[in-house]
Amino acid sequence: MLEAYKISYSHKKHAILHNIDISVNYGELLVIVGPNGAGKSTLLSLLANETGKNGEPIFFKKRTFEEWEQMELAHNKAKFSQNNSHDIPLACKDVVMMGRYPYFNANPNQKDHEAAIKAMEETDVAHLESRDYNSLSGGEKQRVHLARVLTQLDNEVLNKLVFLDEPLNNLDVLHQHRILHTIKNFTKKGNTAVMVLHDLNLAAQFADRIMLLKKGQVVAHNTPEKVFTPEIISKVYNFPCTVCPNPVNNNPLIIFGT
Amino acid sequence: MQNKLSLYITSGILLLVTLAVVSLYMGVYAFEKHSVAELFSGILSGDSSISQSDRFVLLNLRLPRITMAVLIGSALAVSGTCLQGMFKNPLATPDLIGITSGASLFAALTIVLGSSFKQYIPEVFHFSLLSIMAFIGALLTMILVYRISTSNGKTNVVVMLLCGVAFTALGFAITGFLIYISKEEQLRDLTFWNLGSLAGATWTKNLILAVIVLVSYVFLINKGKALNAMMLGERDAQHLGIPVEKIKKQIVLLTALMVGTSVAFAGTIGFVGLIVPYILRLLFKSNYNVILPLSAVMGGILLLTADTISRTIAQPSEVPIGILTAFMGAPIFIVILIRNRKSM
Repeated sequence: MLEAYKISYSHKKHAILHNIDISVNYGELLVIVGPNGAGKSTLLSLLANETGKNGEPIFFKKRTFEEWEQMELAHNKAKFSQNNSHDIPLACKDVVMMGRYPYFNANPNQKDHEAAIKAMEETDVAHLESRDYNSLSGGEKQRVHLARVLTQLDNEVLNKLVFLDEPLNNLDVLHQHRILHTIKNFTKKGNTAVMVLHDLNLAAQFADRIMLLKKGQVVAHNTPEKVFTPEIISKVYNFPCTVCPNPVNNNPLIIFGT
Repeated sequence: MQNKLSLYITSGILLLVTLAVVSLYMGVYAFEKHSVAELFSGILSGDSSISQSDRFVLLNLRLPRITMAVLIGSALAVSGTCLQGMFKNPLATPDLIGITSGASLFAALTIVLGSSFKQYIPEVFHFSLLSIMAFIGALLTMILVYRISTSNGKTNVVVMLLCGVAFTALGFAITGFLIYISKEEQLRDLTFWNLGSLAGATWTKNLILAVIVLVSYVFLINKGKALNAMMLGERDAQHLGIPVEKIKKQIVLLTALMVGTSVAFAGTIGFVGLIVPYILRLLFKSNYNVILPLSAVMGGILLLTADTISRTIAQPSEVPIGILTAFMGAPIFIVILIRNRKSM
């Protein structure tokens, strides 16, 4: 569904990404991991068409982004960004409702309200509906934006695509798992998710495939079992680690330190 | 919300009409007849029931002036609201970031140097030359301020405001020089730009203003959703299918047009674009869906009230209207500064 070959990107002569091939299938949850400065966010940003025209074309459903009509694209793909604005002097629900902007002209209709409420329940912010966005904590703001992204893709379109840049920052354990379950369910319906995560164990538990980046290059791109080996991980992160099967779900469990 | 919005707009317009009628009767000259209906039916029927002087004061002095106050107030308030949305800051108003100065500088240049290059310009443009030049001045300053203060879609508020200071200073210096070299009758015109006044209102100016305001509103007034989304950041707005670059261009062009024309016809009237959105934000938060259309009505109300006061408070002379708007605007400016001092 999403394909791009030989992506390179540099900023002020400083190479950030180098010759990256990527192809994500329908229904796949791809998690991008890697140490700081690996170029994860930049890659996500490029894939989500944020930088405009940039060298090699990126194909989304076999069409380049230039070939898509902007509104249609908004019904097909959404992105959750890492640095959300902290100053939006509106009520929570107004912020979530922005996710429905591609669907109504002047006023939200009943369907938009229902979709917004549904997404807010999904990310557990329904009770904050009429609170001032600016008065929320970091984690709550994060969940409001997640609800906004979810409600943007609440439609009849088949095979949608969502990008998430570190969606779990500031979230407590309960909400981390809730969000990941929501995203997993989203991909089970034939949709695709590309996500940047820091927590390798959560990545191992939820991802279909892992892309491991270091210094702008792909070190490994495969299933969690194949990527999360002690050799690869301790080399990339430059820190010793042990990998054993997770006693609960048998996914690889990475323990850092010796 | 939407039903409420139309209710607010309707009651705003009613208030505006009432104020307009009240304002019609305010002033040194008192009409012979006392009811509005009598006055207008007398004028429309064209019989001799209305005296020549009544007719003159009504049709050629008060009515055009009231119309101009409403149009300019509305245009300045909507420009302020749109710019605040684009710069994502409640301090981005045409006067604070130097756009008004740019416009009046070009207007001053046109007045003083106009006589020498007038002959090279086609006849049709003569009349609107001043507003076209003011528009160009406004547009140039706006583009410069935006380029200087904004990178990657993020505006540095301090830089933005200092740009305003710099452009105002430059405008002041050049205008001062122009005053020094200008002839007597040009001097009178120049003083008028700096203080701002609606006394020069005529129907022709109102017609030009009305066309510009209407055309701008067709494009701008429904941009509430887009401006809301831009609070998320420009990239995220784009993910919501909002054509950010296109909308920014429209805002730059149309607010320059509205501010330029206002300055050309009424000089520098400051703070309207600051006061109106500020009051509306207090009532409706920053929901541009609501405050953008309402600022069109509120701007008219504010400037009409200010102008009526300015021409009645010290009868028979007039207090320059800029003094009144500054009296209201400057404290609000300070309040916004105090509230935002941490985020600047």
